[in-house]
Amino acid sequence: MTASIVLLAVLLVAIGSVAVFIRPQRSSTFEFYLAGRRIGVVTNACAICGDYLSAASFLGVAAAVYASGLDGMWYATGFAAGFVPVLLFVAAPMRRFGEFSIPDFLGRRLESHSVRITSVVIVQLVILAYLVPQAVASGITWELFFGYGLAGLSPYATGVLLSTAAIMLMVALGGMRGTTWTQAMQFLLLLAIFVWLAIVAVGAGFDYPQAVRELSEQPLANPEQVEGRWQLEPVTNQLAPDTPAYFGEPGGQYGQLGQFALIVSLAMGTAGLPHVMNRYFTSPTGTAARMTTVWVLGLAGLFYVLAVLLGTAARSMIRDMSGDVAWLDALTTNGILRVPEHALMVLGQIFGGRAGLGLIATGALIAVLSTIAGLLLASASSWGHDIYERHINPNATQRQALWAGRLAVAVVAVLSAVLALGVRPESLAGQFPSIVATMVTWAFVLAGSALTPVFVLAIWWRRTTGPGAAAGMVTGAVVAVTMCAAGVVLDGAGYGELLLTPTLVSAPCAAAVTVAVSLVTRPPQHLSTIWVRLHGTAADRHTVKLARLTRTGLGQRKGGHR
Amino acid sequence: MRPTDPLAAEEHDTPAEVDATFRTLRRVAVGHVAVFASVVIAVPLLATALDWWSQGRLIGGMSPMFAMTAFGLYVFFFVVCLAAATLSTAVEERMLGGPGHEGDPQDPLSPNDGAPRP
Repeated sequence: MTASIVLLAVLLVAIGSVAVFIRPQRSSTFEFYLAGRRIGVVTNACAICGDYLSAASFLGVAAAVYASGLDGMWYATGFAAGFVPVLLFVAAPMRRFGEFSIPDFLGRRLESHSVRITSVVIVQLVILAYLVPQAVASGITWELFFGYGLAGLSPYATGVLLSTAAIMLMVALGGMRGTTWTQAMQFLLLLAIFVWLAIVAVGAGFDYPQAVRELSEQPLANPEQVEGRWQLEPVTNQLAPDTPAYFGEPGGQYGQLGQFALIVSLAMGTAGLPHVMNRYFTSPTGTAARMTTVWVLGLAGLFYVLAVLLGTAARSMIRDMSGDVAWLDALTTNGILRVPEHALMVLGQIFGGRAGLGLIATGALIAVLSTIAGLLLASASSWGHDIYERHINPNATQRQALWAGRLAVAVVAVLSAVLALGVRPESLAGQFPSIVATMVTWAFVLAGSALTPVFVLAIWWRRTTGPGAAAGMVTGAVVAVTMCAAGVVLDGAGYGELLLTPTLVSAPCAAAVTVAVSLVTRPPQHLSTIWVRLHGTAADRHTVKLARLTRTGLGQRKGGHR
Repeated sequence: MRPTDPLAAEEHDTPAEVDATFRTLRRVAVGHVAVFASVVIAVPLLATALDWWSQGRLIGGMSPMFAMTAFGLYVFFFVVCLAAATLSTAVEERMLGGPGHEGDPQDPLSPNDGAPRP
């Protein structure tokens, strides 16, 4: 146990110190929020992966596959698919237009203060919806790994509070530059952990196609608490309720409508996630932002292929070993884990003992921390830059603006920790395939309903206006939140699935309202200039030329010294 | 970009050039998103139309649908994005920059390789 705790502590301290050592040397908001716009393609792709691959991807995808088989894979599909619309519609034009944050981009593109204020509110809601499940995941991880709390707190509360406090300090000190390198390292570490786990699982005799065959021979059944006792309950086949559900076939979690609703929600949500989209502003050019997305898709695709494989391996191997390994009794019912999020950690302990568990727990905490870092930075930039610098104190010095951003980091972090403490994951375990992945999906729903349609229209439809965009964002958010709330209350199949992942309905509503209001209001005054800035490449060519001249100058200087 | 920067003054796009490029890029994006959406919709939809898709066996216990969802879709996403990114960048390089702003044809890093512009 001591060795695994030391391993966890060393890795976390090493990663945290990167943020501090690579912190911005000059005290300016341009450095703090955008890292001077000098982040290379591969580094930025790794950082985006670190930012994007949260606990929902590291623990949640494997957990969803573990609990629901093929239907659990839709999470991974949707998470990866989200970058296709980002590349096709958003990345390059958004970067070329420049600015600091999503509200800044929309405010300037549409020349509207009301759009800026509305999008700050929506962005903060998305960030909060995304932060809470990350804090929940750190609480779950601490609970399983340490099993005890500090200062009289429960293990869950200790995990939530410690992880939030640590990352709050790291972001406040490191800014975007420190966070970029930390997130890139964190992603590589997460990928290395998955590769290690896959190699040891295969080395221990895991045969992927054979495991799918064996798991699909018996109907799918998961533990549920019935009258205070855990027992295996058959999973209802949502596609054909009269027949059993099987691991390797669809229907274990969603009906036909539910599958589409989930994929659309996740695929559309990515383009509206503030912490991911803000990273594109750090690319040197629009073309670099586009190529960064191609790299992200390659790296994230590899990550999700491994996550799905490991979810399958956990279902197969934990079941086979449960009779021989005594400590599994406390976590399983008839060889099936009661909390699916434990799947990877249990697999780590099977193959690596307590050190293996420590490694997976470190990975889970890293996934949580890197995403929280990105979310807090996005929150800081929208409060500090879009509200404080623009509206509260337009004459603020760089120092004042930076402290406003740091204060925003602290306030949002504390708020998310308080909300996470109010969530009791064990009470929700039977209701969703993975509570962490489900909660993250709601953040995607809000982003995909309120921000993505407006983004796409603002970039590709000249006639979009400020009032139209503001009305569209409010409509998307209200429809999405209302439908999600109705879905949680009704908790039913069929249309209940659509209610829980309503982007299929709420995004078209937002787009329709944006178009309708835009058609009866006046477009921005300087539309022609805005369009050239958004879709032209002059700034890109200028940056490339400048970089080439700098390289040539440096080369000549070096040559002259020889 | 600072207005006083002489390098910045050298690089500019005209509204007509940008509008033509924008329309071409919009076609590229819509075409690729149509292919992307068709495949993403087809994968779950085929399960209701073809039993073989979700219950047949390709390798071990993996059905074609399982293999597509576990591996194939990620490869497909990557290929679609690589194709779209390459095509979009090529369109921008050919259509923007103007004849008066061509790069050095001898420079391999130049966005303009000296080929005539449309």
